[in-house]
Amino acid sequence: MADDPIAALLIRVAAQDRTAFRQLYADTSSKLFGVLIRILGTRAEAEDALQEVYTRVWLKAGRFEAGKGRGMTWLITIARYHAIDRRRARPSAGVDGEDALLAVADPQPGPESVMSARGEAGRIARCFDTLEADRAAAVKGAYLSGLSYQELAQSFNVPLNTMRTWLRRSLQKLKECLDQ
Amino acid sequence: MTQPTEDMGSEGDDLLAAEYVLGVLSLADRLAFGARLKSDRVLAERTRVWENRLADLNDDYAPVPAPDVLHRIEKRLFLLPQRPPRRFALWGGLLGGLVAAGLLVAVVLTQFPLPTGFEPSLTATLTAEGQPLVFAASYDREKATLRIERTGGTVAEVGKDYELWLIDATGVPVSLGVLGDTLVETPLAELLPGIVLAVSLEPAGGSATGLPTGPVLVSGPVTEI
Repeated sequence: MADDPIAALLIRVAAQDRTAFRQLYADTSSKLFGVLIRILGTRAEAEDALQEVYTRVWLKAGRFEAGKGRGMTWLITIARYHAIDRRRARPSAGVDGEDALLAVADPQPGPESVMSARGEAGRIARCFDTLEADRAAAVKGAYLSGLSYQELAQSFNVPLNTMRTWLRRSLQKLKECLDQ
Repeated sequence: MTQPTEDMGSEGDDLLAAEYVLGVLSLADRLAFGARLKSDRVLAERTRVWENRLADLNDDYAPVPAPDVLHRIEKRLFLLPQRPPRRFALWGGLLGGLVAAGLLVAVVLTQFPLPTGFEPSLTATLTAEGQPLVFAASYDREKATLRIERTGGTVAEVGKDYELWLIDATGVPVSLGVLGDTLVETPLAELLPGIVLAVSLEPAGGSATGLPTGPVLVSGPVTEI
């Protein structure tokens, strides 16, 4: 666990250690808040979601398996899934094309360019380079901003089924590339 | 869109897992997939592999300093009675016997946690954009009990009450009762993911018609923990 302090904290949280829970919040809440804001768009909703996410982290920590992935990956997965469920539950889900367009257009170079120097992140960047530019942007827009097929189809101005085909083929190519 | 799963077999499942991890599915498809994950270990493994495969994209999420809501989370989590350690199981039986005999003594209650641990398996957060009012709901299947607590906003104005509604696929709201200002518990035989809980503003004592008459202030879908 020496190389994954978040996993070590999660194991303590699973044992109902409240001090570890506070430490986990201190160490990871800004990353998860960044995830929630990116997908939900407003601070107010991200703040509600943050409470829900850490409530789940406490209740689900026993299901974290340290040997099967990193602690931060597990936490971000919980945050992403919760935020995506909220987006999909909105009454207007799937019809706000402008919002989707902004989300895709958001280049947010952020830490990614810094991380690409690292081996693993470099590999995913190389694999995305094997996709056509608009398809790579669609996959990233879906993953990072939580866009639905419908929102992606609208913002890329292609029929829904075309978008579905694009993404499925892209996922297949990414899988082959990443599993090499 | 889950249609390819039957004819494409495992390849279809792998693609569906990828779509789930990517996040592009509709809410109904997400919930259906989530339900399968609980019993299908192969599917759960495929999903985990995809989560790890795409995890390096997480580097692209820029951290944003988070508001300090830890105390609210702790209040929500730790005000609930703690899950009792196993060794108290015996006490549970003993206490049950004492209760039945009408002999329950307060000293026993303060020294040993009663085995009344509320173990939620479903939750919902009821919110609306621009609305400070927030309710946190959780549901314990075993106990068939719904808990709901106001975690944001203020009490209803004088002469009004908040009323809780359950809305399933039929779209017809069913009243679960008027909400007081404290933690409310109500027996509820069944609650399923995808059902929406909503709170409306009603005349004091609740809607007289059996349907919401005032504005629906906040709502949220029920999801598995």
